[in-house]
This record gives sequence, C-alpha cells and structure tokens, in this order.
Amino acid sequence: MGLLSKKDAALIKDPLADNNPITIQVLGICSALAITAQLEAAIVMSFSVLFVLGIGNVVISLMRNIIPSKIRIIVQLIVVAALVIIVDQVLKAFAYELSKTLSVFVGLIITNCIIMGRFEAFALGNGPWRSFLDGIGNAAGYGVILIIVAFFRELLGAGTLLGFPVLGDPIEKTGLYAFGYENNGFMLLAPMALIVVGIIIWIQRTKNKALVEDH
Amino acid sequence: MEHIELFFKSIFIDNMVFATFLGMCSYLAVSKKVSTAVGLGAAVIFVLAITVPLNWLLDQYLLQPGALGKWLGAEYADYDLSFLSFIMFIATIATMVQLVEIVVEKFSPSLYNSLGIFLPLIAVNCAILGGSLFMQSREIPTLGLATTYGIGSGIGWFLAILAIAAIREKIRYSNVPPALRGLGITFIITGLMAIGFMSFGGMLTGGDDEGAKEEKTAQVEKKVVDDNEKEMANNIKVNE
Amino acid sequence: MSNKTESNVYTILFAVAMVVVVGGLLAFTASALRPKIDNNQRLEKQQNILYAMGVNDNDETSAVFVSTDKAPELFNQYITKQLVIEGDKVTEDENAYLIDVKKEQASAKAGKERRLPLFVGNKDGQTYYIAPIRGKGLWDAIWGYVAMDKDMVVQGVYFDHKGETAGLGANIKQRYFMDDFIGEHLLSENGDFAGITVAKGNNDPKNENKTDNKVDAIAGATITGDGVTAMLKSELKKYVPYFKTLK
Repeated sequence: MGLLSKKDAALIKDPLADNNPITIQVLGICSALAITAQLEAAIVMSFSVLFVLGIGNVVISLMRNIIPSKIRIIVQLIVVAALVIIVDQVLKAFAYELSKTLSVFVGLIITNCIIMGRFEAFALGNGPWRSFLDGIGNAAGYGVILIIVAFFRELLGAGTLLGFPVLGDPIEKTGLYAFGYENNGFMLLAPMALIVVGIIIWIQRTKNKALVEDH
Repeated sequence: MEHIELFFKSIFIDNMVFATFLGMCSYLAVSKKVSTAVGLGAAVIFVLAITVPLNWLLDQYLLQPGALGKWLGAEYADYDLSFLSFIMFIATIATMVQLVEIVVEKFSPSLYNSLGIFLPLIAVNCAILGGSLFMQSREIPTLGLATTYGIGSGIGWFLAILAIAAIREKIRYSNVPPALRGLGITFIITGLMAIGFMSFGGMLTGGDDEGAKEEKTAQVEKKVVDDNEKEMANNIKVNE
Repeated sequence: MSNKTESNVYTILFAVAMVVVVGGLLAFTASALRPKIDNNQRLEKQQNILYAMGVNDNDETSAVFVSTDKAPELFNQYITKQLVIEGDKVTEDENAYLIDVKKEQASAKAGKERRLPLFVGNKDGQTYYIAPIRGKGLWDAIWGYVAMDKDMVVQGVYFDHKGETAGLGANIKQRYFMDDFIGEHLLSENGDFAGITVAKGNNDPKNENKTDNKVDAIAGATITGDGVTAMLKSELKKYVPYFKTLK
C-alpha cells in the first residue's frame, strides 16, 4: 500500500474486521436479512452499495461546509436518493438487462442505514479522499458479511451456489441426496439470517477478545 | 370493522420487525434498556402515524398515474410521477422528523431531553419508509385506513422493541458465553422471536372463512356472467 | 462559518436551492431518457408475450428471452391479432400490448369500464390466447402473461416482480416454477372457472396431475405464492366470458 499512508489504509482495513458495519456498528441489518437467501443477490447488492457509498461519501464530504445542520438529515437523504434514482434511470435507458437485476435493490439501497450512518459519522467531518476510502472500506466490510451469510444460506437452504446445484438433485435423489440428505428450507427464511449473523459475531468475538461487550 | 382488522393485522401478522424485518438497526442498537426502548418506540408510533397518511395524500394527489388529473383537470391525467415516490416519501419523513424535533424542543424541553437523541435516528429507520411504501404498494383505499395502518405498524414496532429490551434486561443476569454477550445473543434471540411470530402469519392463510366467502362471490358473479354472455355473443357477431 | 450556516435565511435559501437543483436534475434525466426507457419497456413486453407462448431461447434450466433486436420482428410474425375487450365489445387494436394494466385496474376501481387486452398468437398451427395479469406479492407488484388455448388450458406463463425476496418469492420468474403451469387447466371439470392455486404440499411435486387446478408452491414464499394465486384468479376470470364465445 505505497499509495496510502498508514492512517488511510486503516480506513479501509478496520471496517473489514474490527469495526465491521454489520457485526460491530449494527448498520445495514435490514438489507442483510432481505437479500442473503441467494449468493448472487448478495454480491450484486454489495457492489451497488460499494458504488453508492463511495460516491455519496465524496459528495457529502464536498458539501460538508455548506450544509445547514438544521436540515442535514433531509439533505443527506435527498443526495443519496437522487443519486440512486439517477443511476437507476440511466441503467434503464442504456443497460436494461442489468437494470432489471438491480432495480429490486433501489429501495433497499436508499433505506440502507449504513449509507446514512457513514454520511453522518464520517463524511460530514472529513475530506473527500478520506471519505471515499471510508466509504469503500465500510461497503467492503458490509459486503464480506453479506457474502458469508448468503453462502451458507443458499448452500444449506437450497443446495445451490450462484444458482448451480452443487449437492445433487433433490427430486431425482442424486449426489448427497442419495444418502438421505435434505435441504433445510428453514435456512432461506429471514430469522435464520439473524441467527447466522449471531454466530458470525460469536466467532469473531471469540477470536478477538477486545470486542467483547460486558452486556 | 375494516379498521380493527387492519389494525390488528399490522400489529401482529405484518409486524414490522418480525414479519418484514424492517427497522432492525435501531431495534438492535437501542434496546439495551426498557426506558430508552419505550422512548424510541413512542417516537416511531408518532412519526408513522403522521407520515403514512401524509404520504397517502401525496400518493393519491401527486404521484399515482393519473393522480394529477383528479384536481388539475383531465389534460394532466396522463402524467405518471411514480418514479418520484422514493424521494418524495423520504423528504416528507425527514421533514416531519426534523419538524417534530424542533417543535418538541421548543414546547416541551423535558420530553425533548428524554426523546431528543432518538428523533434524528428515526429518519433512517427503514420501518418508517417501509410503512409508506407498503401503504402505496398495498393500495390502502382511504385516508382513515392509512392512519390506522400507520398507528398499527408503529404499535407493532413499539411492542417488538419493548419485548427485546425486557429480555435483554433479564438476560444480564444469565451466564451467556462472553463472546455472545450483547449484540450476538440479541441477534439470536431476535431470530427465535421472529420464528415464534410466524405463528401469526399462519392466521392469514388458515381458516375456512375465506373459502366460503369466495364461493359465494363466485356464485353471484357466475349469474352475472351468464346474463352477459348472451349479449356478448350477439355483439361479437355484429363486430365480425 | 458556523454562524453563517446556522441562520434561518441561509437554511431556507439552501433548501430552495437544493430542491431546484435536485428536482431539475431528476426531471432532466427522467425526460431526456424517457423515450429510450419507453422503447426498452416496449421491447420487454414483446419479449414477455413471446416467452409466454413458447417463443424463447430457453436452454436446459434457465429462462431466456428472444434477443431484443429480434423481438419486434418475431412479435409481428407470431402475434396475429391484438384484441381489446371492453365490457361486451371486442375491438382490434395493434397497440393493445401497450395498454397499462396498472392504469386499467385503477380506472376500473374509479368505476370506469376496464379495457382487457388479449393477444392472439399462432405458432406451428396452434392458436394461443395471451392475457396480461397483474397483482400484489409480499413487497410490491407482481405481474405476468398467461398463454392459453381456447379451452383455457395454460400453454405457458411468464411471471415477473418488482421486489420480491431474492431466493424466495423472486423465484416465481424461475423456470422450474413457471414450467409447472404448462398444461394446467384453469377451468374445473364441470367447466366453471377455478383458476390455479399455488399450493403447499399437494402431494404432487413433479406436477403430474394437470387437472387439479394446483401447482406446487415455492418453499418459504407463501405470501408471494398466494399473490400469484389471487392474481390468476381475479384477472383471468374477467376473460371467461370471451372464451365462452369461442366455443
């Protein structure tokens, strides 16, 4: 990381583990529950958030000295909503196929509190370059958890990964299913996402005792 | 009757937290103590009760396809502004939240002090936007029902955060594995509570009432259809 | 700096400027891109209709539309007639596929007569009747196209959705779900309209019984499945009088 100073590199590295937006900061949970039944959706969502949070953080950071504090919440929400809607419209016009995959996530991105959370906590007080790194780092940390959860939910719930059957065919009873294995459809339901995230938190905090809360 | 049905449905069956998993972030983050949970929950009820009917009006008279025609005359009926829904709803919510903050601060400083920090948090609570978007996509027909829906959803959210806060206060005296303490166990408890709440979801599909009702309407419609048929057959011949 | 940005005048000016800038930007992109988006949506409708009547590039497991550059040509080739059914009046209209079902549903609620589009297609000597349908899933709108023969036996369907849960309700547009509908009867044995119910545990996972008015549901997508059932029932029922005249 010759390009980045140590402090800047930390902006990207911290959110990946010790200051993860989902498991530590408790941001962006709703979307993490809604789209992790499928690995593909989780990956698409991760990249969308990476894009929106990176750009949004820069925009807010550039505007940070002129936003009146009384209406800052409205301004932040409008910036992100406008950004997402414009991108959605442009995609609809020039990359219709792609937009059909993504348009489902438009609402989830606007209401994703990870975006507002980072605007409020970081971009309002820091320069554009550092805000950009912070956005990228947090979105990546968010994406990592999303992809881990989706991997387990899709594998155990539907027996597929990215839509490809990896455990055999449950109706024809081939592969693992020949030995009496059954998909656990329960994994596909949202409550199981909560429990999987809970287990990830458990593992993470067992490894790094500094993160343990007293209660 | 309609109101009561929608009211209970939005509290239990369509519970914002356990059935649609909205408003999770503040739900998990601000549920350490019952007293703060009550403050946030009350604020959510209040904001939902205001923004859902407000956004209903916006939707009916501005955003829906053909909405402008209702009050500007027929030549405007072709405009479809529904692509603005998100931004309009969010603007209403953020404005309301900020307005409420200013008003409460001015007239009741003591309430402001107990609620103060939670108010701005509400704007990013996706349960609020979710309430308005559900109102739109489920096509709630009247302003009164929209208000009922807003209040019901708010109470549902309130009860959910109250329950988890109470559980978290109790669990403080239990011997939870250190790494699970705090957030981890809260995630898992919420998951289990959500599974419990699925029992309410069964009420939507269960019961024979619905089947009986449908049969009745089918019979009525069949009669109408029979009457229409003859006329229709005649007309088609004419057209050809 | 903080004094300047805290004053009420500044706040109001900023808000006004913000509204003008954002509103202008949104209006500009929306109107500049409108023709292109409309065109894309028109092509998509054609692809959907063709898909429902079995004109598609499906490979073994996934659903694939005919490509957009071929869609208009194939649409003209396979769709022989486009009808608009209005009460008991049936007219031909070559742009019937552009009728917005959502708008029609809204105006029907306001007490106006509902215009029902129906597309008549011909493939390999067989006649298909394709009807657009629209309803509500768990989160938002769901819609689709159903191709039938004159006895209201389903020949193919296409479903789509706006925001159903990925991996669960969103799977209504997967082939394993849509293909289950092929061959299903919409009428019951004695000829009344029965619709098709998306049912859990109907002991027919391979969907061999085509006259039971049932297809197997997607696990974990109960509400979306109920939405599909309701949409098929309420929308296709409106076409029953027309189909009776075909006999």
